[in-house]
Amino acid sequence: MTLAVNEVSVPVDFDNTGETDMKPPVLMTGEASYKRVTSLVSRIIEAPRAPAIWYPCFFLSASLAGLLFALIGYEVFTGVGVWGNNSPQGWGFPIVNFVFWVGIAHAGTLISAILLLFRQKWRTGINRFAEATTVFAVICAGVFPAIHVGRPWLAYWLAPYPNIMGDWPNFYSPLLWDAIAVGTYTTVSVLFWYLGMVPDLATLRDRATTRLRHTVFGILAMGWRGSAKHWKIYDRALLVIAGLATCLVLGVSSTVSTDFAVSLIPGWHETIFPPLFTVGAIFSGFATIMFLAYPVRAIFGLKSLITDRHLDNIAKITLFFASIMLYIYLIEFFIAYYSGNPYERYVYMNWMFGPYWWAGWAMLFFNGVLPQVLWFKYARTKWWIAAPIGLFCLTGMWCERFTIIIGSMTHDFLPSAWHHFVPTWVDYGMLAGSFGLFFTLFLLFCRFVPVVAMYEVKSILPQSHVHLPKMAGVKI
Amino acid sequence: MTTIYTNPSSAHPDKAKLFGVLAEFASPQALVDAAADIRKAGYRRWDCYTPFPIHGLDRVMAIPKSILPMVVGGAAASGALGALALAWFCNAYDYPMIFSGKPYWGLPAHTVVGFMALILSGVVTAFMCVWVFCGLPRFHHPLFEMPQFRRVTDDGFFLAIEATDPCFSPVNTAELLKGLGAVDVELVKD
Repeated sequence: MTLAVNEVSVPVDFDNTGETDMKPPVLMTGEASYKRVTSLVSRIIEAPRAPAIWYPCFFLSASLAGLLFALIGYEVFTGVGVWGNNSPQGWGFPIVNFVFWVGIAHAGTLISAILLLFRQKWRTGINRFAEATTVFAVICAGVFPAIHVGRPWLAYWLAPYPNIMGDWPNFYSPLLWDAIAVGTYTTVSVLFWYLGMVPDLATLRDRATTRLRHTVFGILAMGWRGSAKHWKIYDRALLVIAGLATCLVLGVSSTVSTDFAVSLIPGWHETIFPPLFTVGAIFSGFATIMFLAYPVRAIFGLKSLITDRHLDNIAKITLFFASIMLYIYLIEFFIAYYSGNPYERYVYMNWMFGPYWWAGWAMLFFNGVLPQVLWFKYARTKWWIAAPIGLFCLTGMWCERFTIIIGSMTHDFLPSAWHHFVPTWVDYGMLAGSFGLFFTLFLLFCRFVPVVAMYEVKSILPQSHVHLPKMAGVKI
Repeated sequence: MTTIYTNPSSAHPDKAKLFGVLAEFASPQALVDAAADIRKAGYRRWDCYTPFPIHGLDRVMAIPKSILPMVVGGAAASGALGALALAWFCNAYDYPMIFSGKPYWGLPAHTVVGFMALILSGVVTAFMCVWVFCGLPRFHHPLFEMPQFRRVTDDGFFLAIEATDPCFSPVNTAELLKGLGAVDVELVKD
């Protein structure tokens, strides 16, 4: 029931990427009814078994996540010497991985917050799982600084608490800013994600057939009953949070970049770092979405909700940020040359032609050059081109973090202080393990939580648009 | 002479046990049109229940603006000032210390901490305000007893008028809602 007269239905395989005379553009293919939105998303969670491919993927991810925790145990009991870190390279893989994962964490908030403020309706199909990637990437990111402090059980020393020594943390230190920024980002992204999910959890509660399911989703849904008065407060709160999160998303990677920019090391001491890190973060986040969206919609049968138009738009945004990245790289090289500073010039030559030349070229090619293929619509809408490009962009972004951190710190002012950095098997194992942790959480999310924001998709269907009645003498 | 005051609802035993009347409508448009008429009819204690926010329904129902943004603004400002005060107390007052030749108190270096505290306190306050202002979590509600109300989170569009409304009458209100095009009207027990 409740099929409105102006409901628009197009075939499931309808190509909605082009300009059509249907306004607004079709954002759901197939029968565009409320009931179908609910069932498409809920059936993933309500099915007794996950799709067959879910199990091997989960087994692999969980094994790698197990490896990560085993290696953390090994590192904590043995000491940080198990890593390749040395002097001067005190940061090594843990901080490379940290900056990399923090970057990936940026797409979800960007899609949910900035695209909400810009009233981009297509974000409704992908915002939920983009926010999930944010939360999980931030968890992966948080693991590394925590173990990199060497004695994680003393990490609480970062907090300003009255202690027996009578001293306080150094608020001038970018490392403290970093901890505060990442802590804030974690809290905000979890709250934003959960708040956006409450009406959908209520849907699952109301569809529950077992007592356990009804109780669990009932508690998580907080007794949500779709009241118009509640929706008004809820909408207002989401808008306010989106406004704050938009500032935050531009602030977090900028803060992370100050870890580097506030120091005096050549290759780090640059005013362009905050925008470079922020753009890189958003770029890597969108590359992740571009890479994940195709398998998610194929495995869970969500082609009607995550349409080609959504993926086309994601690819366009990726291309936009890739072009800014290319521009910033070229500016960095030019300024290094133009500054006339021999240390600065040397660092950039060393990035591209030194011992880590492969990372330097991977950064330039995968982040700046390869995504230019996305100028072609054919490339943006074919899974076998767009998804691998997403993966290559991620590789490029990891190499960029590697180049900046390892490439600069191992070759600073005094050649006598130079030292080559060689990662150990523990470094590689932890990197692989962090991917395992990310995908384990992501696969659990896909199976047990609504992967698409049902209520938001319903609100942008054509039949949801109402004409306000004329009320004599009453201002509405 | 003694005046006996009677509670109007207790004078009608049936009305006392009622939460109100629940009407279902076939589409968002039908609900919005009905809401406009209910408002015109002078009802006060009523609400609409929908699977998603219908834009404009709040104006039709004359739901007042929420003070949430102002509360959040106040909390955000306090958070930022609090964090700056903490930085000042720690590094400039309680244990003054020179870091890298910088002054004891330097606002530029504390911008990040103040900014992050602003965002954090703002967002946490907004999150808490949703639950406080909505009166949630409330795990039981008379409407949850109605089997059709389970579709409010799927594809059901409902309008409920509460029995405590001065204009409420079990018969007349239900008739009014039927006349407004409700596909189903039922009384809800409290």
